[in-house]
Amino acid sequence: MSANDDEMSDFEKRTRALLEESVSRTDGRIRSRLNQARHAALAQLQPARRRPFWRSFTLAPAAGVVAAVVLAVVLWAPRPGQLLPGAQGPASAVEDLDLVADGETFDLIEQEDGGFYEWAVAQADAPPEATT
Amino acid sequence: MSAFATLASVYNTPVAMHGDVDQTDSNINARSRALNQFLAGVELKAFKIAQSALRHEHDALDAVQDAMLQLTRAYSDRPAEEWRPLFYRILENRIRDMQRRRTVRGRIMAWLPAHRDEDDEEAADPISQAPSDEITPARRMELDEAMSALERALQDLPNRQRQAFLLRNLEGLDVAAVATAMGCSEGSVKTHHFRALKALRARLGEFST
Repeated sequence: MSANDDEMSDFEKRTRALLEESVSRTDGRIRSRLNQARHAALAQLQPARRRPFWRSFTLAPAAGVVAAVVLAVVLWAPRPGQLLPGAQGPASAVEDLDLVADGETFDLIEQEDGGFYEWAVAQADAPPEATT
Repeated sequence: MSAFATLASVYNTPVAMHGDVDQTDSNINARSRALNQFLAGVELKAFKIAQSALRHEHDALDAVQDAMLQLTRAYSDRPAEEWRPLFYRILENRIRDMQRRRTVRGRIMAWLPAHRDEDDEEAADPISQAPSDEITPARRMELDEAMSALERALQDLPNRQRQAFLLRNLEGLDVAAVATAMGCSEGSVKTHHFRALKALRARLGEFST
């Protein structure tokens, strides 16, 4: 029995070597198609990247609040051409600062048109009946 | 004729719950790598086994692809040690289905006029049939003769004997794994394998390679 087993093993080894040689000689076209098949099969394992529909609603309240705040700011904020009464805007504030910083302006008031400015101040301080 | 390399929908897999996404992706990538390695290791032998049983290249490719798809879809979560017998079990079932379908188709076609098989034209292309490695012409002829004799002898074996022989002697599965792949007892595997060897030895003699 053992002799028969050894003889059989040799036969099996030869057939196996022949079959493996046959496998190794598989042409490139078949190898390529098997490779494509393998990748098509493995593509099934990749997780779906789509968000489930119910998750798209979880941030809806926060998004609504943000949208309402933005809308309120847009509606209530003053536009560039609609300044509040008495406000002169940033440009006039800079001009006022220039006037204060300019020493020559006070010289003019004292030397040339001092009488006019004194009259203007008196008119502004006087009661309404006196100005008319 | 086939839907070979048809890309399966990627939306068939369940979606991971939030919080587990990174862990799940990591597991999927590891499993995908392991399956890729496994399938790359068995695909050529599986093709040879399918081709020996079906005697048709495209059908053999279809059978192997179907086995790959089904293993990945249904059994990728199983331990890697179980993949090989499961894969060959699926492949053998697919081969049997194709053989049955071919029998039915053959009966139908026998009633129709003769037609030209486009696959045969493609198979006759000498460039596509060229072997991938370089060996001497004399050695190639010797191997070709031996392979042809062995393939003819294998094709003449009963299905179960051929299956047992190829799973044991080409794929190298042990008796238990072959039994799982064939869906029978280990005793049946030993019987089929013994009879296959006896028939092959009687047919081929002590050929040398």
